[in-house]
Amino acid sequence: MIAPDALTQASASDVKANAPRIVLQGVSKTFSSNKGSGTVALKDVDLSVRDGAFVSLLGPSGCGKTTVLRMVNGLIKPDSGSVLVSGKVPEPGPDMGFVFQSFRLIPWSSVRGNVEFALADLLPDKAERRERADRYIELVGLKRFGDAYPSELSGGMRQRVALARALATEPKILLMDEPFASIDAQTRELMQIELMRLWTVRRSVALFVTHSVDEAILLADQVVLMGPRPGRILEVIDVGLERPRWSYDVRAEPRFIELRAYLWDRIRTLVLTDPESDFYGRDLGSAV
Amino acid sequence: MKIAAYRLAFLAALIGLWWLASTMVARNLVPSPWATVLAAQRLIAEGRLMSALGESLSIYLGGYGVAILVGIPAGLVMGTIRPIGKTLEIFVYALSATPRVAFIPLIIVFLGLGPQAKILIIFLGAVMPILINTYAGALNSDQELIEMARSVGAKKSRIFTQIMLPGAVPFILVGLRVGATIGLINTVVAELYTAVKGLGGLLAIYGNTFRMAEYFVIVLTLALIGVIVTEALRFLEVRLGRWRRSEVIV
Ligand SMILES: Nc1ncnc2c1ncn2[C@@H]1O[C@H](COP(=O)(O)OP(=O)(O)OP(=O)(O)O)[C@@H](O)[C@H]1O
Ligand SMILES: [Mg+2]
Repeated sequence: MIAPDALTQASASDVKANAPRIVLQGVSKTFSSNKGSGTVALKDVDLSVRDGAFVSLLGPSGCGKTTVLRMVNGLIKPDSGSVLVSGKVPEPGPDMGFVFQSFRLIPWSSVRGNVEFALADLLPDKAERRERADRYIELVGLKRFGDAYPSELSGGMRQRVALARALATEPKILLMDEPFASIDAQTRELMQIELMRLWTVRRSVALFVTHSVDEAILLADQVVLMGPRPGRILEVIDVGLERPRWSYDVRAEPRFIELRAYLWDRIRTLVLTDPESDFYGRDLGSAV
Repeated sequence: MKIAAYRLAFLAALIGLWWLASTMVARNLVPSPWATVLAAQRLIAEGRLMSALGESLSIYLGGYGVAILVGIPAGLVMGTIRPIGKTLEIFVYALSATPRVAFIPLIIVFLGLGPQAKILIIFLGAVMPILINTYAGALNSDQELIEMARSVGAKKSRIFTQIMLPGAVPFILVGLRVGATIGLINTVVAELYTAVKGLGGLLAIYGNTFRMAEYFVIVLTLALIGVIVTEALRFLEVRLGRWRRSEVIV
């Protein structure tokens, strides 16, 4: 009686593993602005993320990276096209974790209170909730700051609290909007490794927005390159570097160097040829 | 500690000026500080001050209390249920711009000269700042935090009690403070215009009979009530605002 049961379970999860976890199809979104015309944040975006994948979203400011994350979380709906997560229209909740670009900590709650806020519905038992919160506060290296208020923390520490809050629900899908942007270089490297470890253990899906080309390649299975005005996906690149990546010097790999040079070049051209960009038409090539 | 010393020094300077004024202006208009102390002793010994204080405080706290019970919930409802807020807003602002003293004759016609009329006059003065500030606080709630709470899966009730309400607290406290001051003013106004009783009543009696030392005692008593109530609210503000950086509190 056990064998067939195990079989069906295995095949069911196999199907799941092959089917994409997150699917965006022909997604467009326009934000109305005071000026009238409105901003086209995304236009005809198609993206498919398989289960267990780590995907970096890379692109110049204003190309709709945050908008993609908010849609996948179900916080906003597309004007047209469809967003499906695990085959359903996404609903916000503890099975998705969101690290916001601007931390969004509750100023009148302590660090622990902020992390517990995300756990309230998941763990009704107070002691259990506290234990879980403390575990993740320790994970991000803020053990001694559980009782501190956000106003007493540095920018990098605040960002780590936001990360702990998103990780604490142990979500199947992690949406991270430049989660390491204001963390100092050393801590950043530690946090990157910690994140990769967690992701390896959990095999959760990660959508990771970053402005750093190195970080995008270092962490991801795939790098999604986006362009602005209108926000769209230009290219999806398979990274193809061996994991675990903390066990060797990834940055020295020819593949890493090649990807890095290629992505830098693409982004630079994007910025220099975008009439709306502050750097439009500058001849940066001759300066080198 | 330093600030306390400066405050005492300033108070001493004020009393000095007062004494100076009492020696220079015709004696009957500005009583000396000492004469005022003697008058206070007399008024306390006769039991007049205490009974007037009791009358005034009971209507003041009654009117102010009802204003809190009405103003805060009404402001929150207007701020969270937008159609209600947008509909009522203009009427609230119109009412708050009308001098409430204008309603006193009408109130007397309906409620007479007793405590009900007085409490209504105080209520009308205090409720507006409380309501308007609570409304502003609810409208001012942090949209980014609300989106964070939604993303975590928090229900509307939890977003209200844990994000919107605490965010509105600083605004509500400002409303309570302004309301407390206006309520106190309206207490005196009510006691002057309706049945002449309480501290406002004594003010009228001593003012009309030029018993200036007694008159000063009443004025100082009113000032003292104002200080006590606003300081109590400030204490509450500091307690509730402990999460701010400590230097803001001091
Ligand atoms: N709520 C909104 N209202 C109006 N316009 C918006 C809103 N949200 C985003 N936009 C616009 O949509 C475009 C894409 O925004 P989005 O925040 O997704 O960019 P981004 O790629 O995350 O940029 P950055 O790297 O600077 O964070 C921008 O032009 C932005 O001005
Ligand atoms: Mg963004």
